[in-house]
Amino acid sequence: MNLKNITKTIALSAILTSSLVASDVVKIGVQAPITGEYANEGQSIDNFVKLIVDEKNAAGGLLGKQIEVVTCDDEAKAQKAAVCAKKLANEGVIAVIGSYTSGATEAAQTTYFRKGIIQTSDGTSDSLISNKYWTFFRNSFPNSSQSDFTAEYMVNAKKYKNIVVLSDYSSYSEGLGDATAASIKAIGGNVVFRGKIKSGTQNFTAMLTKVKAMNPDVIYYSGYYTDGGLLRAQQQQLQINADFIGGDSNDNPDFYKLAGKAAEGTVLINFPTPEILPYEEAKKYLAAYKARFKMDPPSIWPVTNADGLRAVIEGVEKTNSFDTKKIAAYIRSMKDFPGITGPFNIREDGERVGAKFVVYKMNEDGTKKVVSE
Amino acid sequence: MDTFLQQLINGLTIGSLYALVALGYTMVYGVMKLINFAHGDLVAFSAYVGLTIFTQFYGSNALSLVNIVIVFCLTAIVVAFVGVLLERLAYRPLRTAPRLSAVVSALGASLVIQNAIMLIWGPNMEIFPADVFPSTSWNFGGVIISFTQVIILALSAVLMIGLYTFINKTKIGTAIRATAIDQDAAKLMGINVNRIIVTIFVIGSMLGAIGGLFIGIYYRGLTFDMGWLYGLNAFIAAIIGGIGSIPGAMLGGLLLGLFNAMISGYISTEWAETFTFILLIVILILRPTGILGEKTAEKV
Repeated sequence: MNLKNITKTIALSAILTSSLVASDVVKIGVQAPITGEYANEGQSIDNFVKLIVDEKNAAGGLLGKQIEVVTCDDEAKAQKAAVCAKKLANEGVIAVIGSYTSGATEAAQTTYFRKGIIQTSDGTSDSLISNKYWTFFRNSFPNSSQSDFTAEYMVNAKKYKNIVVLSDYSSYSEGLGDATAASIKAIGGNVVFRGKIKSGTQNFTAMLTKVKAMNPDVIYYSGYYTDGGLLRAQQQQLQINADFIGGDSNDNPDFYKLAGKAAEGTVLINFPTPEILPYEEAKKYLAAYKARFKMDPPSIWPVTNADGLRAVIEGVEKTNSFDTKKIAAYIRSMKDFPGITGPFNIREDGERVGAKFVVYKMNEDGTKKVVSE
Repeated sequence: MDTFLQQLINGLTIGSLYALVALGYTMVYGVMKLINFAHGDLVAFSAYVGLTIFTQFYGSNALSLVNIVIVFCLTAIVVAFVGVLLERLAYRPLRTAPRLSAVVSALGASLVIQNAIMLIWGPNMEIFPADVFPSTSWNFGGVIISFTQVIILALSAVLMIGLYTFINKTKIGTAIRATAIDQDAAKLMGINVNRIIVTIFVIGSMLGAIGGLFIGIYYRGLTFDMGWLYGLNAFIAAIIGGIGSIPGAMLGGLLLGLFNAMISGYISTEWAETFTFILLIVILILRPTGILGEKTAEKV
């Protein structure tokens, strides 16, 4: 047997075994950054999915089939995300949970749409639903809802005069930054500077020195915690006497570690974080998560993704089928499905509606205090 | 005016870090005509080693000056050891091979170190303890300079002057310069070329280790792939100054830091990198060997 034949045989047997196995399991994909900058978020998404799947499997599975989780690491990179999409599609998953970043989610969207695979993500970039793919639904809330809330807080509640809005170049952060600047202007606020930093470059002193000359009352940053914490630390080092408000993705324990003493007094605007979610489901699942993984999820995002998965499971059970078209249609028709992160309602274009935000202030020891809702 | 001075300080701080790292590139290139792509990852590695020693031995607070000196020395020794090992395993067997093979080996070594960091410390971001140095800072009429910055600027300057003197005034320094000009002739003069190359790797790695520690202390967040970012910038700095030239690497590092800060401050942060590369191209067109690089006749 020559090499070509051997490869063919192996390939054929692989196809045969996978189709045989496929008959008594149903596969659910996880596309998340398991390694790289946002690894702790990605790993937590994967953990939460496994928690819910194991619970379901122990109770007899989904329509009598055991659920198998297939995880693909996209490193929060668009290129890797596209590869993951193809890989998960080849694995024959019916739904994909993820990814964490909007950029990686967007890069995979079209593949899932073409293959008829349901995808749900916490990505908040408004562009995620602009294609109106029937396969996609968002399990968090869009930037536009957050930007209106943030603008309202800064202009009307805090009465800031000179507002600086910073973001990085990712589609999520840039989108949220632009939306926030627009919302501020729309209600008569004054944005003195709208700047962008390159994520991961660590040295933001040049940008901050430039900002300092504008005498801002507040610096709003719409990017991720890895840069946000450093921005805050360098802001204090340069003695810029302005408040610092971080968008939702700054809400991560690493922000406080990076910012050090400067973290005190930082204001974060986010969805209610896991530990203060008031819902029955939340208490149950977060306790189970902590018991199994010996820590809390790092942020709300793994929890919203878990809600996405629960919605898919609900869809399968209520429609009594694995037909993704029917499931997607059912998810869009649900009324106040009791999610871990609150009532779960999906609009026709895949948008989650009913956003709720909270303003936190950081204490010196890294704990958070809700200052307004 | 104070904004300008502040940008100057910002630029000099990051510039000294680039310069420290660039010295490792330029010294290895000078002697071996090899671009040691693994150097950036060695810098990242030293930041991790430093963090481990800090947290393991002394806890995260209350570091005395003696402890800090011990941490710096230990890190430098560990990293120098790895640097020598790198030369031994990845470069020495290829000493007589075509230059391309050595470059590929360097790229491979870079990936090995990067992945080793990921396997040892994990893929998550590691964070340096706050306030390794006291968080004191001084305000000179609106220009802020922190204690950490002073230490970085002062120690970098001392190290660079020390290195310059070492290369130009000592016997080993003379041997290094001789080896850089012609390895065979150096051998004929009784210079142990292998020992010189090991010395180069020890010094380069130690300077990189100090640079890596400063990066960790000043910027705090460590990721396993951060070596690439600092390595690339330091490499550009080495080329701008004239790769192979030691004062060139120092000048290149400081210039690059300043240029970046000024472009970010006065033109646009978005365009800072584009302008950096335009600067690189312009310098290479006007002076193909870099600002302080010497014109050398190509050997036939």
